[in-house]
Amino acid sequence: MIKVENITKKFIRNKNKKEKEEFYADKNISFEANDGEIIGILGPNGAGKTTLLRMIVGILEQTTGNITFDKMNYKDNEIEIKKSIAYLSGNTKLYDTLSAYELLNMCCDIYGVDKEKREDRIDEITKVLGMEQFLYNKIANLSTGQTQKVNLARCLVHDPKYYILDEATTGLDIISSQIILNFIKKERDKGKTIIYSTHYMEEAENICNRVIMINKGEIIKSGTPEEIKVSTKTTNLRDAFFEVIGGDLDEE
Amino acid sequence: MKNNLWNILKKELRELFRDKKSLSMMLIIPIFIPLLVIGMSALFESQIEKKQDEYNKIGFAYEMSDVEKNIASEMNIEVISGNEEELSKKYDEGKINLYITKQDNKYIINTDGSDNSMFASNLIESYFDTYKQYLQKNYLQENNIDSNQVLDIIVLEENMIKQDNFYVNYIKNYAFLFIIMAITVSATYPATDTTAGERERGTLETLLTFPIKSKDIILGKFLGVTVSSMITGIISLILTIISLMVTKNMFSIYDGVNTMYSLTSILFAVIVIIAYSFFISGLCIAVASTARTFKEAQSALTPLTFISFFPSMIAFMTGIETTPLFSVVPFLNFTIIFTDINNGTIDILNILLMAVSTIIYISIVLGYIIKQYKSEKILFAK
Repeated sequence: MIKVENITKKFIRNKNKKEKEEFYADKNISFEANDGEIIGILGPNGAGKTTLLRMIVGILEQTTGNITFDKMNYKDNEIEIKKSIAYLSGNTKLYDTLSAYELLNMCCDIYGVDKEKREDRIDEITKVLGMEQFLYNKIANLSTGQTQKVNLARCLVHDPKYYILDEATTGLDIISSQIILNFIKKERDKGKTIIYSTHYMEEAENICNRVIMINKGEIIKSGTPEEIKVSTKTTNLRDAFFEVIGGDLDEE
Repeated sequence: MKNNLWNILKKELRELFRDKKSLSMMLIIPIFIPLLVIGMSALFESQIEKKQDEYNKIGFAYEMSDVEKNIASEMNIEVISGNEEELSKKYDEGKINLYITKQDNKYIINTDGSDNSMFASNLIESYFDTYKQYLQKNYLQENNIDSNQVLDIIVLEENMIKQDNFYVNYIKNYAFLFIIMAITVSATYPATDTTAGERERGTLETLLTFPIKSKDIILGKFLGVTVSSMITGIISLILTIISLMVTKNMFSIYDGVNTMYSLTSILFAVIVIIAYSFFISGLCIAVASTARTFKEAQSALTPLTFISFFPSMIAFMTGIETTPLFSVVPFLNFTIIFTDINNGTIDILNILLMAVSTIIYISIVLGYIIKQYKSEKILFAK
């Protein structure tokens, strides 16, 4: 279980040429993601989703609040937590000079996957994601969809317990997106904990058990897709979102 | 998991050896060393081995005796006669290399100190020595004095304790200075690529999600850059030694000079190369890691390249000698110890001080970079 308690992230940004101002990317965010559950983090661009996920995966430190993974925190168990996480974002870039196989091998080294089991594991992932044809090609030469498959594959080599996925299907074609979404559902069914951020409301409605809507760094609504639709008297999450923000379309 | 430092180093080296720019920086720069050694040898050789007919046209603004003419002829001096005005004009036109005027027993050598005039001056000084000796001998014989007893009243003999050669030392020191420069240049590109470059390509975020301590990430990157600069340094050293061996047989300026380095000298040179590679790699990574973009990192590292070069250049030009104090001055210490190695005057204490101070500087620099890599301003700077 991932527990996020009162997370706030404050940045200092330039107000004008001379002055600076405090800016809250996330404010008092709290939620729990249970085992065997997909939690959707929904919100427009600039809502604070990526900052939140970066704090959850431990590459940004929160200004206040706590994040725990089965009662472990980053301060005392950083390496243990990171060993059990897979972080995939639409912006995640891979090493162009390596082949997909070399990258997976490198990840096996880093995550300490047994040398004897390694080949079988890479073989299995390659088949599941349909990467046989380009496994030995350099990443620089792969298409966007193929690269994202490699990206997903590198998240799987260590059989993580938690998946933190940040707009993982952005820019992908419909087939590649579906492969990733199917994969996420299967992992959920295996009891894994998944936090899935997206601005595609329909996508979230299809796969998420619960949804947390964020706007301007604050939670504006949470619950199951059905609960949110009922409470906002709408038929889909897109309309629900606009209902909740009440026509406030200002961009941050 | 235990070997994550090694995993990062492996990744860095793989990227380094697959990147054409890094590879060319690492391997092409040392190739300039043989060119430098051969070029400088040829230049100095041309200075020393000037053909006599390029500077033997001497003007005499007075009537020469037969004896003088004979001496000049024996010394292959081409005598150009004329009055002072004519010879001055010819000198200005470059038709003669210098000219002599005479006032009673005083001979005046008129020259401007240019390259050919200097050779001509040396030639004419020899000529006057011979002529003076002839006149002295004649005078003594006319007065029934044994000229040998007077002229050879003291005997001067030169005993060459150590064969030293200004030109060869200059070339050797310059080659070693170039090694320092090659190491610096070789460190800058991979340091930029592995820090600002990795951030710009977006792979740094991926790397930070791996279960690796930031200390291991930094050390892996640092060692990768160090290996690159060390390879450049070692190749440069090998090429320097080979170049000196080859040029020894090509140019007479090396006659009687031992250009071979002893095993001890080579070992100490390798120690200096290793120490400097560690030092400059740490410094380059520290500077590049504060830059937000690849371009910004390159701009920030350009002054460092000059800073690394100038103290060495000044030390080399002014002939600063190694002292324990200078042995701990970064940049300067590496050059002056290289000069000691060339001169065969290695002092173990100075090398130890250089090594220990380098370790201290590297520790400070690495501590700073590890702190930098925990800073959000660095990791997510835009």
